Amino acid sequence: MNRFLPRHAWDRTLAIILIALLVAFCTLIPGFYAGFGGTLAITDQFLPFGFVAIGLAVVILTGGIDLSVGAIASLSAVIMAILTKSGGLDIWLAAVLALIIGAILGWLNGIVITSLRVEPLIATLATSFIYTSVATALAGASPPYGFGKPFGVLGNGTIALVLPVQLLMFIGIAIGFSILITRTGFGRRIVMVGYNRDAAHYAGVAVPGLLRKVYAISGFMAAFAGIVLASYYDAVRPDMGNILLLTAITMVVLGGVSIFGGEGGILGVTLGVLILGVLRQGMLIAGFSDMVTTMLTGAILLVSIAAKNLLSDRGFGYGALLLRLINSRKQEATPPNT
Amino acid sequence: MSAATMDAAPQRRRPRREIREITLLVVTVAIILGVGIVKPGFMHYDNLEFMVLSAVVLGLIAIGQTFVIMTSGIDLSVSAVMGLSAVVFGLASTTVHLPLAAALPLCLILGTALGSVNGVLVAWVRIPPIIATLGTYSLFGGLTFIVSNGTQVDQVSNQFARFGNGDLIPHLPVPTPVLALAAVALLAWFVLNHMIFGRNILAIGNNASAAYNAGIPVKRTLLFVYMIAGALASFGGLVFVAYTGSATATTGTGDHVELQSIAIALIGGTLISGGRGNLAGTVIGSVFLSVVITALVFLHVPAIWYSAGEGLMILAAVTLGAKRGAAR
Repeated sequence: MNRFLPRHAWDRTLAIILIALLVAFCTLIPGFYAGFGGTLAITDQFLPFGFVAIGLAVVILTGGIDLSVGAIASLSAVIMAILTKSGGLDIWLAAVLALIIGAILGWLNGIVITSLRVEPLIATLATSFIYTSVATALAGASPPYGFGKPFGVLGNGTIALVLPVQLLMFIGIAIGFSILITRTGFGRRIVMVGYNRDAAHYAGVAVPGLLRKVYAISGFMAAFAGIVLASYYDAVRPDMGNILLLTAITMVVLGGVSIFGGEGGILGVTLGVLILGVLRQGMLIAGFSDMVTTMLTGAILLVSIAAKNLLSDRGFGYGALLLRLINSRKQEATPPNT
Repeated sequence: MSAATMDAAPQRRRPRREIREITLLVVTVAIILGVGIVKPGFMHYDNLEFMVLSAVVLGLIAIGQTFVIMTSGIDLSVSAVMGLSAVVFGLASTTVHLPLAAALPLCLILGTALGSVNGVLVAWVRIPPIIATLGTYSLFGGLTFIVSNGTQVDQVSNQFARFGNGDLIPHLPVPTPVLALAAVALLAWFVLNHMIFGRNILAIGNNASAAYNAGIPVKRTLLFVYMIAGALASFGGLVFVAYTGSATATTGTGDHVELQSIAIALIGGTLISGGRGNLAGTVIGSVFLSVVITALVFLHVPAIWYSAGEGLMILAAVTLGAKRGAAR
């Protein structure tokens, strides 16, 4: 597929960037290093993006896109809050129901895409409008807040005093999804559909059914992010998920997943989440405004794809040329006998 | 593809396109009459003028979006360009008394420059359009915040206001922006149907590598298309600030004009997969969307349901349009 970029080279590059970033921020930004636990606690502020990114990565691996993740996160969180505040349900039961509702909303996206044959971009754009309206209508003028201290553990809690609950959940989910994508038939079929949908179809993959499941997974993860956000803020708002989309897409693409599908892995996405999250929080701690960090997110989105294209022989000509030059130099430098 | 299917396709397509335009017109008129009977204020001249003017802004931007979608691309940054232009020229008109004659070319230059960023990213750096324009959306949007620096445009000079609301030709009650939209639409129609550039756009949208092999300058054409989209979005922003007299840092992006412009193009009959566009449908579609949104306001439908209505409209437009061309 790509002779000049060996497998995992992008993941390795990301790992180096992440370490460099952490070292640089700890030394350069006063207040970034606040003890081991303090620095780990920073992850609480960006991991909701990461939960969305992992679900979104699965969709993008099939060559699709899900623009409704933000709306699903908001709607699920609002439904959870209403079930527990007005319905009197136990908060944890309400959260589980909200996760199921998120999966159903995602599955509806899949139905629109596969049965009505609407492009994923347009279908999820349209459903995001609808979900947002429903969330706003349900939340009403004064959205519920105050879910009790035990529930707050999900967003703010730590285990053994220093390990944030969110980080542990994120690592667990990332490992689970990584196994799902690389070690199960379902995961391989997901990548196959993204790599060549027609070939997958002729190889006997039931593409529509698979896509419906994939969008349900994305909806489930979006709902999970919404619930974690509700726990973190101890409140819900019908627009709380809006901020998730752009950053989550950037994380996925930064993680090396091709927007055309069929290429990339969860390890890369995990690193993409950590890099972008650390960078954003570092900038905010250093005193840059939210607007500047958002602009930076946009710039990183563009630069990361440009860099990948530079390194790939399919893309930008000069970069491939440069790498070819470097490669040929290496071959000359090594004696043929060794 | 055999010669028979190629011959048959245009014949089957032509009546379909007209049916879509006529249906849209009939539905639009029906909504105006229906709501007008229930709420007489809806048929008042002022309201009709308001609907037409907001349709002009949407229409200008949607025409640019139609060009981009015809190349099988998409431009999410149009709303940010519109907002930036509205803030820059709104502020310039009040603070440094920039004359309209200078603002017009400057606004086209600004839009073209911003659009060329998208064009270079898409054509040369080969970033997929949705990602490239999502990135520039946040870049341009951030720029708007920096330029406005927390202030907002409350009022524009008389010259701007006359351009926004006044009539160009005496005794003909047609606001100047409507004439501008008509001129732009005619020009766009001419470019698309009677110039090589326009045919190249459709060829690229149908099959970019085939177009490349046929000797079409794909990269240059894409660059120009994104420049056009930027210029029209910027012009839309100027018209917006001229007729409303106000603009904030969230103008355009706050109302999701980028999504509205995509919706209009699709409602008008442009294929999201590219290669086929319908400019007349886009113009009528912008009037339709403007009328629908205003009708919802008049019928006291809570504002929270507007976006759901837009979502349903997009789904309806796409599923009705995609029935024949079922290919993904």
